[in-house]
Amino acid sequence: MTSPILEASGVTMQFGGLRALNDVSFGLAEGEVIGLIGPNGAGKTTLFNCLTGLYAPTSGTVSSRGTPLPHDPARVTEQGVARTFQNIRLFPSMTAEENVLVGRHVRMKQSPIISLLHGPGFRKSEREARERTAELLEFVGLARFSDELARNLPYGDQRRLEIARALATDPSVLLLDEPTAGMNAQETEATRQLIFAIRMLGTSVVVIEHDTKFIFTLCDRVLVLVQGEVLVEGTPDEVRGDPRVIEAYLGAPPDEVEAQIHEAEETQ
Amino acid sequence: MTTIEARAVPTAVPRRGRLDGLWSALAPRATVLRVLAGVLTIIGTYLPWATFVLNEGPYPDKATLNFFVDPLGVTGFRLHLLVIGIAMIVVALLGLPAAGRIIRGLGWGTIAVAVINGLYILVQGGGFGAVTASDGAVAFGAVVALVGGLVAVLGGTAGGLGAKPELTWRLPWWAEWLILLVVFAIVLFLVAGVLTSGGQGGVVNPYAGAVFLSVLGALGGAISALSASGLLTWVSAVSERHRIFSVVVLLVVALLLPLTSAGTEYWMTVAANIGVYAATAIGLNIVVGLAGLLDLGYVAFLGIGAFVAANLSGAAASEIGIELPFPLVMIISAVVAGIFGAIVGSPTLRVRGDYLAIVTLAFGEIFVRSAQNNIGGLTGGANAIPNIPAVSAFGQSFAAPLTIGAVKLPSGVLYYVLIVLLVAAVMLVFANLKNSRLGRAWIAIREDEDAARAMGIRTGPVKILAFMIGATLAGLAGAFFAHKTGVVAYDSFQFIQSVTLLASVILGGMGTIPGAVLGASILFVLPEKLREFADYRLLIFGLALVVIMRFRPQGLIPDAHRRAELAPDAEDETPVVDVTT
Amino acid sequence: MLSTLLSQIVNGLVLGSLIGLIALGYTMVYGIVQLINFAHGEIFMVGAYGGLAMFTYLLPTALKNHWYFALPILLIVGAAVSVLVAVAMERLAYRPLRGAPRLAPLITALGVSVALQEAVRVFYPNATAAVPFPTIFVPGTLIIPIGDGIPIKYSAILLVVVALALAYALNTFVERSRMGRAMRATAQDPDVARLMGVDPDRVIVLTFVLGGALAGVGGILYGGLYNTINIDMGFQNGIFAFTAAVLGGIGNIRGAVVGGLAIGLVKALGGQYLPGGTAYDYVWIFVVLIVVLVFRPQGFFGETERVRA
Repeated sequence: MTSPILEASGVTMQFGGLRALNDVSFGLAEGEVIGLIGPNGAGKTTLFNCLTGLYAPTSGTVSSRGTPLPHDPARVTEQGVARTFQNIRLFPSMTAEENVLVGRHVRMKQSPIISLLHGPGFRKSEREARERTAELLEFVGLARFSDELARNLPYGDQRRLEIARALATDPSVLLLDEPTAGMNAQETEATRQLIFAIRMLGTSVVVIEHDTKFIFTLCDRVLVLVQGEVLVEGTPDEVRGDPRVIEAYLGAPPDEVEAQIHEAEETQ
Repeated sequence: MTTIEARAVPTAVPRRGRLDGLWSALAPRATVLRVLAGVLTIIGTYLPWATFVLNEGPYPDKATLNFFVDPLGVTGFRLHLLVIGIAMIVVALLGLPAAGRIIRGLGWGTIAVAVINGLYILVQGGGFGAVTASDGAVAFGAVVALVGGLVAVLGGTAGGLGAKPELTWRLPWWAEWLILLVVFAIVLFLVAGVLTSGGQGGVVNPYAGAVFLSVLGALGGAISALSASGLLTWVSAVSERHRIFSVVVLLVVALLLPLTSAGTEYWMTVAANIGVYAATAIGLNIVVGLAGLLDLGYVAFLGIGAFVAANLSGAAASEIGIELPFPLVMIISAVVAGIFGAIVGSPTLRVRGDYLAIVTLAFGEIFVRSAQNNIGGLTGGANAIPNIPAVSAFGQSFAAPLTIGAVKLPSGVLYYVLIVLLVAAVMLVFANLKNSRLGRAWIAIREDEDAARAMGIRTGPVKILAFMIGATLAGLAGAFFAHKTGVVAYDSFQFIQSVTLLASVILGGMGTIPGAVLGASILFVLPEKLREFADYRLLIFGLALVVIMRFRPQGLIPDAHRRAELAPDAEDETPVVDVTT
Repeated sequence: MLSTLLSQIVNGLVLGSLIGLIALGYTMVYGIVQLINFAHGEIFMVGAYGGLAMFTYLLPTALKNHWYFALPILLIVGAAVSVLVAVAMERLAYRPLRGAPRLAPLITALGVSVALQEAVRVFYPNATAAVPFPTIFVPGTLIIPIGDGIPIKYSAILLVVVALALAYALNTFVERSRMGRAMRATAQDPDVARLMGVDPDRVIVLTFVLGGALAGVGGILYGGLYNTINIDMGFQNGIFAFTAAVLGGIGNIRGAVVGGLAIGLVKALGGQYLPGGTAYDYVWIFVVLIVVLVFRPQGFFGETERVRA
């Protein structure tokens, strides 16, 4: 078996006296979609920050195809792990197109000298980048907003633009941090369709979501993170049936969670 | 087939605020008010402006004339007011789209002209008598014109400003080229006219400052009116369509300036100095405007370039004492400045924001202190490095007058040509970089550094590169500066100069080329014109920084992208309307 | 040798107390509104000129020669002028920019700094050059009998004592009083502080008042010590004070004083012992500034979590 495209082994993250992640391990196979669920403050975003090199874990390693990833977000992205942010982090005063073009940064062959002189290959690299950008904007359904400033886009479109920008780095792994947070029902639905479409592209995805119904229908595997530790890992069916999940998840009364899960089952 | 089509939204932009009642009360009489404003402005034109001849000599443009003398012979600020007044009436009666907006712009111009000239006469004449009535003479020109301006602003606003029209005219290419040629020719004469207006400041010409400011005021009014009519946007769209043509014509136009009224040694020197600071400001604009890194010691790079050039050009005071050809000197100066740029920029790897600004300030201070103490014998200390030889090529010294056939050009023309080419090259560098992978990376860092890193941008090297390239450009300008002025002294590179450069970038508009050039021009021409206010120069400068940050932080020519960001709630700006959807 | 070293240390500590006093204003303002108030040095300068104006034009001659009358009056007037200017500056220049992009207030601060300096230069009689400042304390010099003798002016002793006393008083105020608690709360988290019923405007004005008063007192003591003041004194000492504030950990009152003393020592000892002599003593301070900002921006007393750079 080939080594996973993204693998965390024993990742622990300590902030002062607070242990945000404790010995988290999992592997993501090529083309697989993993859902990451858990109550607020369980360490989901912290895990993303460790996976993308924004944080250097206190102990444990993150690796891709057997090689450890550096603690530098830029180089992690170069190696094919891209992400979106829970609180949208677009470049607000750039247009939608420019935002995605920035995503092409790592894949563009354009040295500073060529940038400066608009020398040989400049037009070609710009044209290729713009074509790919146009494709991606089309893909996420934002082609008509190409020249609009990111900050002027509606909230849901901003989230999708962030996904397009991440996809522009040609990632083999895409980490989505609550891609439907704060959206209305319509936007949520559109975004879900988009994530299904990304899955069809064959990109491996790790997605953080609160909506278990959505996670269970989308993902191959689900990780339940509680208080910085992996509580349960398994297929949606396994996780759904696990009493520990029902007990721990969201700290909510069990029957409420159960109701939510039943609802998810009914729609399947 | 030419299709000419003007789209405009005639509905008034809804206004909110305490003055609601006033506007609605005045609205039905808006047209009357607008015409009245024009009439008042014209009457103001023909009224006397000063009751007596001032001590410094007659105020220009016959300010002391009797009522309505020589109706066709008006000149100077009177002519400007006359044109503005007629324009107000015509616009009001024709009912153009956005007439309110246009007339309001003209009104501000009138107010500026009236206030500047009136205040000047008032101050020089020693009291209100000078601009009202005294010793049986009356002079209500300023007052009437001021009222005219105010009525224009009221009338323009009251009847609804109207949205700025979106002109989508398309003409055959030759017609558009012709229009651009005419526009750029007008720009050339405007620049020459503004530059020389009022003449050289100082004792020789006591009213230079007032005349110059008045011209600026009238021009400001005219430009805001043109902008309100949508014409400016249209012309810039046309020039965008014919980009290369426009760039070439602009360059030629700039090179033609010596043939206009500005073609004297004095104005050529002023223009060359502006060029030095404009080139430096564009370099700074890369660091501040694009990459968003505040540099408070930037003038040091200009200084480094100048001192390197001074030492390599055979100046007697230089300890190195070698003389290299000028192009080589320029390259070495630029490279050395670039290396220092990388050094000063390296703390960006660890330091952000305000703290970075302080680090650059500290580097700048270290440079000045070291230069003041003649470090390594390279800077001449308090004695400076004097007698740097002028550049010469083909036996022609750049400092000498030039004769080509029958045309005699003043000395300094060759330096002017050189600086125009240098500024053009610097602009090219800026524009090329802005629209490239590197430029986008800088802007991304400015917008959100963490997100930029998450997109794979190695922010450290990219930021250092911004400092390096900016410093290189300043070094080039420094080498030119050393030869042009012939003396390099440490006190040309003090903190206040860094602040002035930063101010010119901000005043013009961050991240734009015309902004940096305009800002540098204003900040370095004004002191020339306002010699009699030399004492108050920095005081006014400091206050102006405060006022600009408060009321127009986006600068005079804002970057289209940053406009909304820096002026979030400018109530009278056209709302961002997406016309494509 | 030893006495040279010791007298330079004394010089350094005297200058350091002054810098520390100014640094308190920097550190409080930055701690609460995250603004590098460039103009704070000018507040110090304005205080000195205010006091001088009082002494020259208003103080009855009978009182001029008795320092125990003149000194308190000058200190109060100097502090009052500084407070007035500081509050006006906050109200007119900084407050309208709250919430603006961070570049705007910083540039405004630069503008205020230039404008204040120039206003004094243009409008204060003969301020284009350095102006003499009266001795406002027991004249003369105390010689500490070590080695060849270490001279220390009585007015220098006054400066050190007053500076340390004021710093102690400020620290007590911030830690004990109700307003002090409000200040600390606002520095930690303005939004939460507001929810707790703290009026941020009042806290900010109070910060400028306290910082201004200390700077004004500093200006008078500076003039009394060196017997000459000039319009550049604010900018230079302001930058040193900022360095001190960073060195001590921005927002940290004790740190500012210790940072000030450290900077004073760097200047005095660097000017004496490092290559280049006194001509380069400023340079060493800027070197320290850069090194601290790059390698320890939280300062030596700040906690790591409070890095604001």
